[in-house]
Amino acid sequence: MCGITAIFAYRLDAPPVAREELEAISERMRLRGPDASGTWFSADGRVGLGSRRLAIIDLSADGNQPMLDTAGELVIVFNGEIYNYRELRSRLAAGGATFHSTSDTEVLLQLYRRDGERMVELLRGMFAFAIWDRRTQRMFVARDPYGIKPLYYADDGHTIRLASQVKALLAGGAVSRTRDVAGVAGFYLMGSVPEPLTICESIRAVEAGTSFFVDAGGRSDPRQYYSVAGVFRNALTQQATIGLVEAETWMREFVAESLRYHLVSDVPVGAFLSSGIDSSTLVALAMSVPGQEPLRTVTLSFGEYRNLADDEAPLAREFANNIGTQHVTRNITRSEFLADLPKLLDAMDQPTIDGVNTYFVSKAAAEQGLKVAISGLGGDELFGSYSSFHRLPLMVGALDALKRIPFGRGIALGALKLLRAWVSGNPKTEGVLRYGGTYGGAYLLQRGLYLPEDLSEVMGLDAANEGLDRLQIIDRIARILEPDPNTPFGRVATLEASLYMRNQLLRDTDWASMAHSLEVRTPLVDASLLRQLAPTLLSRRAESKQLFAMSPRPPLPDALRRRKKTGFLVPLREWADLPSDGGLIVAMRRWAETVIERAMPA
Amino acid sequence: MKALLLCPDAYGGHGGIALFNRELIAALATCPGISEVVVIPRLIVRETEPIPPAVTFCREAAGGKIRFMRTLNRVLGAKSFDLVIYGHIHLLPASLLVQTQSGMASLLITHGIEAWKAPKSVVARHFINSMSAVVSVSNLTRERFLDWSKFPGRSYVLPNAVRLEDFGMRPRNPELTRRYRLEGKRVLLTLGRIVAAERYKGFDEVLEIMPALLREHRDIVYMIGGDGSDRPRLEKKAARLGVADHVVFTGHIPESEKADLYNLADVYVMPSRGEGFGFVFLEAAACGVPVIASKHDGGREALLGGRLGLLVDPSNPAEIEAAINESLLRPKRIHPDLELLSFQSFERNVHAIVREILGTAQRA
Repeated sequence: MCGITAIFAYRLDAPPVAREELEAISERMRLRGPDASGTWFSADGRVGLGSRRLAIIDLSADGNQPMLDTAGELVIVFNGEIYNYRELRSRLAAGGATFHSTSDTEVLLQLYRRDGERMVELLRGMFAFAIWDRRTQRMFVARDPYGIKPLYYADDGHTIRLASQVKALLAGGAVSRTRDVAGVAGFYLMGSVPEPLTICESIRAVEAGTSFFVDAGGRSDPRQYYSVAGVFRNALTQQATIGLVEAETWMREFVAESLRYHLVSDVPVGAFLSSGIDSSTLVALAMSVPGQEPLRTVTLSFGEYRNLADDEAPLAREFANNIGTQHVTRNITRSEFLADLPKLLDAMDQPTIDGVNTYFVSKAAAEQGLKVAISGLGGDELFGSYSSFHRLPLMVGALDALKRIPFGRGIALGALKLLRAWVSGNPKTEGVLRYGGTYGGAYLLQRGLYLPEDLSEVMGLDAANEGLDRLQIIDRIARILEPDPNTPFGRVATLEASLYMRNQLLRDTDWASMAHSLEVRTPLVDASLLRQLAPTLLSRRAESKQLFAMSPRPPLPDALRRRKKTGFLVPLREWADLPSDGGLIVAMRRWAETVIERAMPA
Repeated sequence: MKALLLCPDAYGGHGGIALFNRELIAALATCPGISEVVVIPRLIVRETEPIPPAVTFCREAAGGKIRFMRTLNRVLGAKSFDLVIYGHIHLLPASLLVQTQSGMASLLITHGIEAWKAPKSVVARHFINSMSAVVSVSNLTRERFLDWSKFPGRSYVLPNAVRLEDFGMRPRNPELTRRYRLEGKRVLLTLGRIVAAERYKGFDEVLEIMPALLREHRDIVYMIGGDGSDRPRLEKKAARLGVADHVVFTGHIPESEKADLYNLADVYVMPSRGEGFGFVFLEAAACGVPVIASKHDGGREALLGGRLGLLVDPSNPAEIEAAINESLLRPKRIHPDLELLSFQSFERNVHAIVREILGTAQRA
């Protein structure tokens, strides 16, 4: 786990790479990698690579970056973990590859040498990397299938600059800070900036599941090597094997396999534990891995939630005691939140309405001396347990039916207005008719913070119009459903994984954990696991979560399995003096304004 | 002591289960303390192999349930047994007759998919818990069986054996090479029944990556050894993918041609999801052919966790393709670890299991 940076002055008329700029970018990411740092510059000064390293696999200096291969022809900076690196390494070695370290980083170099751009399809893990190929004078850039690890670039047509964080690219001083109104509009609509946009006009995300080359002619078109939509579509033709064993068996075997990979580490691994199904099941499965040391588990508690259903601490503690983890409950108070807020907002790489929870649970894990923690993130997207999984198909279906009734829309509009008079609190109610008819629109309605027509309230009319015009949010969402997964479950799962999870949950987890030099691993966000489980998920749909909960031996206790689903909440409303009337959405709108002002000074 | 084996097929049978049973019978026949092995098969489809001494093979049982039950009834009336072995979970309903002899130890053999889920037969499910022990050909099958059955007794893993002397590396048989038009070609081979019910063998997965493989290697041919009702679908699929000229369907393979068939291959690849063990992997490996199996079924254990060949995730085409590319570069050789799966070690395992079960039964 690291913070990486790469600068390539690819056009001959571009000035050579400035060492100070590269170092400044790298230095901004010190917390991402406190264990070591390094830079590498090509002899002609056209290429510079930098890394800050958090050592997890091969703790020796042999694993430091930038790393050259044994032939000295390839140089890499890499952020992430390759969980199947041992298998890949032994197979590469059998084919004659030589290694000077036992790190996963070097495996990437040799795999690139053998397979070129297709190497990414063999990786199991989370990654973002850049490889400079001295033989061909080009740079290969790639990011993992789900977008767990971030990578951003600024390409001015002469020089491309890449870094793990937006704020790091800005720290180099050569990239413009100009706000991107489309990014801002995206943030207000969705609560996080939808990639590849960022909050800065000149910075874009390397999209999840893609790779590209940069040579003297600039960037190549990105090659998409993985898409969640494609996996669900293919799964439809793979129903033949589902019946071989009980769905529960597939679930256990595939999840356990993913978990085994995610436990590969040369330092102790801990886990975030809530009283929800995802983290508890993962902890239970991890504790049954032969030879596994008792995990250290961490739960947050808040005085504000004491004796309320939102308090996760008591159930989590009981579960941890029963299963034998070394458990810590960490209480977070309003005053600690306020004291940490400047640091938190500084670490927040792009504006988001979430991430405070992960910031504090990461802090608590780091206090326990942990460098790696397992998280249940992604379980709701994988097992279809968000309300969107039934609401979206229902809404799209109902509006489709409405279209066929004469005056159906008019009648429905009247009904909705009446409804709004009764049910105060959700300002999005009236958008149902406008947006609810397509998956893209219905998703915006479900997850949206603001609706497009309300944006001028916070952005001003001109900026809102320009932002919306460039953003084209509905089309943007609709494009995620290409190829069409063809099933309601597949469509919603694709949208949730590619939007909310990618742009918000995973991105927030990255900055919030890196702020404490903690690596978070997500066994339920795994491209191989999705491919393996997709046929079962399509056949069991909403039942999948319970199958998952039943998969440890013994299964999760009833109290946990049947607990009403709550989010991973923090009492933000109380802490940040957000409005307490008008529903959560009103409070979050206020928080969004705070965040964009304070975390992203223009 | 006498042992009784009820089995789907053994001598004169096709496929992995028949082969396993022949080896099992041979090992039982040499088991210290066992004076006679009586075998009652459900099926005989071809000429039978020589039957070892001390084995009574009841040919008359084959050819229908009634004949099978009538034979069993007669045998039970005439002799008393110390051990009865159910060679397949579907034969458990025969316990209804066998139970008339008490004090007998009983053993169930589980091979693969038939034991990965609870059988539909209530009677079969009922009798599982009356078994003294269960033997599985792989740990995967054992775990999947224990998963649903919650069987409380002893369970053993008894991997298949391979008779290395029946295989070995040989030059390509010129007649077969001509018949399948393999001159100057490198051959990928999968062997198996091509039926819709066994659409987990991985034929589809290999066909799907053929276009990509052919871009790298023009001289590749994918040979599908075996026959069955799903063949027309696969033929159409090959045509649709534009690789029909590079796919050979051999049709039914007689036992006598098997070793030669393996020796035509440069890579044996079967990215399956439903193998209980995958005897074919051992046969191919015993001919020195580089082997590719699945991480997600019994093939993993047949390849000794990856020591005898490469393991792939059948859901990842890139992994299958990479493994084929790697295997094409591997020289043919017979891996010394194959000895671990020799008949001698199989025989030792059978003797140990029988000793333990009978010892326990007698103490009880």
